[in-house]
Amino acid sequence: MKLTVPTVRARLTLWHAAVLAIIVCLFSAGTLLFVRVRLYRALDEQIAQDLATIEKVYREETGDLGELDHRMGLTLFEVAEGPTVIYRTASWPPPTTKPYRMRTITDATHRVSVARDETSVRQTLWTLTTVFALGIPCALGLAVAGGYILAGRVLAPVGAMAETARRITAESLSARLPADNPRDEFGRLAGVFNETLSRLEAAFEQLRRFTADASHELRTPLTSLRSIGEVALHRSLTIQEYRDVVASMLEEVDRLTRLVENLLLLTRAEAGRIPMTRTVVNLSELVANIADNLRVLADEKDQAWSVDAAEPVTAACDAGILRQGVTNLVYNAIKYTPDKGVIRIATRRDPAGDAVIEVQDTGPGIAAAHRERIFERFYRVDDARSRESGGVGLGLAIARWAVEANAGRIELESDEGRGTLFRIVLPAS
Amino acid sequence: MQRTMRVLVVEDEKKVAKALREGLEAEHYDVRVASSGEEGFFLVNHEAFDCVVLDLMLPQRDGIEVLTTLRKRGLPTPVLILTAKDTIDDRVRGLDSGADDYLVKPFAIPELLARIRALLRRGRPDQILKLHLDDLQMDLMTRTVTRGGQAIDLTVKEFEVLEYLLRHLGHVVSREMLTRDVWRIAARATPFDNVIDVTIARLRRKIDDPFPTKLLHTVRGAGFVLRRGRG
Repeated sequence: MKLTVPTVRARLTLWHAAVLAIIVCLFSAGTLLFVRVRLYRALDEQIAQDLATIEKVYREETGDLGELDHRMGLTLFEVAEGPTVIYRTASWPPPTTKPYRMRTITDATHRVSVARDETSVRQTLWTLTTVFALGIPCALGLAVAGGYILAGRVLAPVGAMAETARRITAESLSARLPADNPRDEFGRLAGVFNETLSRLEAAFEQLRRFTADASHELRTPLTSLRSIGEVALHRSLTIQEYRDVVASMLEEVDRLTRLVENLLLLTRAEAGRIPMTRTVVNLSELVANIADNLRVLADEKDQAWSVDAAEPVTAACDAGILRQGVTNLVYNAIKYTPDKGVIRIATRRDPAGDAVIEVQDTGPGIAAAHRERIFERFYRVDDARSRESGGVGLGLAIARWAVEANAGRIELESDEGRGTLFRIVLPAS
Repeated sequence: MQRTMRVLVVEDEKKVAKALREGLEAEHYDVRVASSGEEGFFLVNHEAFDCVVLDLMLPQRDGIEVLTTLRKRGLPTPVLILTAKDTIDDRVRGLDSGADDYLVKPFAIPELLARIRALLRRGRPDQILKLHLDDLQMDLMTRTVTRGGQAIDLTVKEFEVLEYLLRHLGHVVSREMLTRDVWRIAARATPFDNVIDVTIARLRRKIDDPFPTKLLHTVRGAGFVLRRGRG
């Protein structure tokens, strides 16, 4: 037979019963001892009195010893002087059929012996022992049963929680554990568990959406690749046409490659597998350099360009990772701002000492409904337009990671129709 | 007349191996292909090569192991490793084992060719101060560019792009190569293609538009090339 670990309920009951058994046994033993001592002491006192009476009679009127028998009810005694018996009751020595308690006092001249029946004492003790011997197991049995029921009641919520938890899978993460009283121990446990479930649910939901989006994004270039190839194979083309087909396929490969790179970056980032090398970075220099690199794009669109990064502002961060984030923000600002719009980039130190990078544009702005989700992977405000301009919808997700990985935060202010301001705040170094 | 350079490609993926062979042969290299680490190891020990292109994920014998053994035996041939894993760890491991350069899959053939050229050129002094193609002249000392004797005013980035194209004269330069080597941005996820396209367009406006012969050509789907005649 396999020994299984007893349930909490059984263990609680057993402990409870064991403690109770020890207490009851100690108490009973104490009671028995106490009663026994008291009864025998009473008997001994009687015997002592008897001895005193006999002694007195013997000293004062020896002849009256015989009367003690019927006057005082002293039926069992003997008085002797040396070997000579002075007086002895009829039934002396006490018969052996019953237990007797006997006491003798001896001095130089005589010896007095008295005996008293102790049957009743013994019987009382015996009865008491029997009551205890029968009563204790019964009481313990009741206690065990009661304890078991009570423990079951107390632990019932745990069972219910376990049952609910068992039914919760990746598909039914919306279920929550029941909690009758949210403030007691089990309620708090359920609360903590439910919070974990909420986080899990959110994470799973995000993952599900991400997987769906990613597969969509990956399939699009694959579909193009395939159909471009298939169509080309079914027709006779000139060399130049074949070149165009191959070039077109390579363009799709480029798109696919970029998407995979972005996805890998984010996945690694989330798994915490991107090593960070933090150094004190001059953000003004970094931002000026990024602005320099991207300025041609703004020039192409005739956008007014202002970079205010003259004051050196430093922060401890990984320059490479932060560069990616800021690049994405500036890139988006140029992309979504119409021709002749205004792009403003600035670095400064705020009154709290934190380093701030701002990227502001005069694009269409972001509606309040989108602001929360704009940093999510693949989230797009305007699906068709963004795709056309070549984005994969990961730029802002990467930007947020880049900032948060550097212990900073990214904020967004937007007036619909008037433009957007992204603000990166990095803690003072 | 320069002798033909011999390149050993150790790659188990048949399609990749074939593409590498054809790409290298088009550049007039003498190519041997080994499809396993064992075979590659054997060939290196029995024949002389000027350069080895080594895939890290190989059957039988891991690329790193092959490389480590070869380097322990004192093989001096430059080795370019190919890896699908682009985590820093793998790169460091590869370079520590004695690789001279690495490329992360998926890579562009023009880039592989450029890397091999660089490896073969290594050790030779690179003291060129003047680059030219046709009537296009670049002076690296004075940092001036002229075409047909006419001075052309270029921005810093345009100058660097042109220099890079001139150094890879006749060879296709991919956007990735420009991103990394001219803009010095290592992260492959950064959106930079537009910046490159705009810069190239501006460069073309300055060096090609006023002249009848076009030198800067776009190879659709691959990159850009500087050469006389059509692209």
